[in-house]
Amino acid sequence: MNLVSLALRNLKRRPMRSFLSVLGVGLAVGSALALMTLSRGIQDSTRDSIGEIGGDLVVMPRGALDIFGGFIPEGTVKRIATIPGVVWVSGVLASFAPSGGAANVLTFGWPDASPLWKQVPLREGRVPDPGERHVAVLGDTAAASLGRKLNDTFDLFGETFRVVGVAGYASIVNRSLVLVPLADLQEASYRPRQVTIAHVRVENAGDGAELARIREEIGTSGNLVAATPNEVLDHDRNFAILEAVSLAVAILAVAMSALNVVTALVLATQERTREIGIFAAIGWSGGRIVKSIVIEGMLICAIGCGLGVLLSFFAASAFPRVPAIGNLISFKPSVGVIAPVIAAAFALCVLGALLPAWRAVRMLPAEALRRM
Amino acid sequence: MIEAIDRGAGSNRSSGARSLIALRGVSRIHDGGAIAALRNVDLQIREGDCVAIVGASGSGKSSLVNILCGIDYPTSGHVIWQGRPIRKKKDWVWLRQLRIGIVFQEFNLIPTLTVLENVELALLGRGMSAKHRYIRAGMVLGRVGLDHRPHHLVSRLSGGERQRAAIARAIVSEPRLLLADEPTGNLDSASAEKIADLLFNLREMTGMTLILVTHDDTLAARCARRIRLRDGAVVEDTLRTLIGVPIEARAKT
Repeated sequence: MNLVSLALRNLKRRPMRSFLSVLGVGLAVGSALALMTLSRGIQDSTRDSIGEIGGDLVVMPRGALDIFGGFIPEGTVKRIATIPGVVWVSGVLASFAPSGGAANVLTFGWPDASPLWKQVPLREGRVPDPGERHVAVLGDTAAASLGRKLNDTFDLFGETFRVVGVAGYASIVNRSLVLVPLADLQEASYRPRQVTIAHVRVENAGDGAELARIREEIGTSGNLVAATPNEVLDHDRNFAILEAVSLAVAILAVAMSALNVVTALVLATQERTREIGIFAAIGWSGGRIVKSIVIEGMLICAIGCGLGVLLSFFAASAFPRVPAIGNLISFKPSVGVIAPVIAAAFALCVLGALLPAWRAVRMLPAEALRRM
Repeated sequence: MIEAIDRGAGSNRSSGARSLIALRGVSRIHDGGAIAALRNVDLQIREGDCVAIVGASGSGKSSLVNILCGIDYPTSGHVIWQGRPIRKKKDWVWLRQLRIGIVFQEFNLIPTLTVLENVELALLGRGMSAKHRYIRAGMVLGRVGLDHRPHHLVSRLSGGERQRAAIARAIVSEPRLLLADEPTGNLDSASAEKIADLLFNLREMTGMTLILVTHDDTLAARCARRIRLRDGAVVEDTLRTLIGVPIEARAKT
């Protein structure tokens, strides 16, 4: 027997107390992980979708709140295309468009000659022909939610569009996309001759110095900022706000969870005051007593964290089945989210065990032995 | 014949045995002076002594034992172990780990552990291998007659068996001093007698010093020395031979 096996025996032979303590930690860790994963899932889904559309850089007006709120004149897009090293540029008008009785749908307008059309992973049908108007390609999820199939018509900004293709994008956001000719969307949304972002393909994207030069030149060709698909959200204020809100909610959840964890361990330790007196009476040093209590706290924490991670994976598999969530974001717990939550949980468990243990060992053993 | 000798006779008598533990002017005051559990107690216990501490409830017997093993501290005065005052907490920890064993009336075993594990607890942190601890704890259980139930949870033992387990835990470190605070107080008379026999036999075999707190005059009579407390003060310190003739009295005749 050593301190670890002693703690394990204690946990095993007090099943109800152990179960409740582990459950408290598990729920705390699970809810914190779920919230943080949710926040991260929103960002990852959006990044994946931007990367999947195509291009090496995404150009946004400097200071734009998000990909919907910027304003880039089409003339500026043409100027970017003349920068040496740029293979092609495609302006994109992004908008949430009202569609009949359905909620607003995420709609992208692309120029007729945009190379982005060639990269659409068509599941069926085709992309619009140059000059063709009031036609659309729907992501498969968008088609399902609008209840439309090939050659059906649907309403967008009060105008009728015909479905000419259905795309099979991989990312969740793109699967909910509606793609229409840029001219149609500019007209319908009253934003003539402008786009909100531009996708840029460069000749040698692997050359960091070359990419940096092109980004700098794009920056000076207007009040613009060019970012890689991974960096786009760093410039998105809405996402910054979303992230802040998610973080705040996660911190609240973690704080509540921390309180649960600390309370569970404080009560568990206080209940053991007499036991601590016995340890002292048989010659255990204060340090050894504290160590044994902290080890037990860590074991509760480890099992609780395991339970919490399992709960978060359960949530990850359950949430995508809820259309309101699964159609918009992916929900995948990752090491990057799990590791800090578990580290925080362990720190709190140590604290939760350490404080009452420290108080108990300061007490005279005779006094501790009198406690029931 | 049992004859009381003057208070302090035990500490003043001439003997070849050296002092093991002594109290010098020890007082223990509780509740800011409202309760004096011990008042200016001077006491000397020699190596190999067998001492009964007797007195009415509230006379300070348990307070005295608590201070003798350092689980409580005197408000004033000193505890002296083999001629050296013990002042630091870590010294008391060392003494309880290696030199002083304690047996309580309420057994004070860890209910979630088995008999063997409870005994092993006293050996943790001593630099012994797990196997060595296991073997030694098992051997001690044999000495107290519990080798047939090493893996039973102590919560499932009878009172007598629990006290045997507690005694095993107290002696597993081979202490020089065994303090037993009402060790038979929670037992039926048959079990109490067996536990008393066990304690005295262990003392016989090991030669350790035994200090026994008891209400039981018969049990106290089995000790060579009896210290009586009243209102926190030592009012009687009797030394007698096994045949009941007081040594001091005999020396005077």
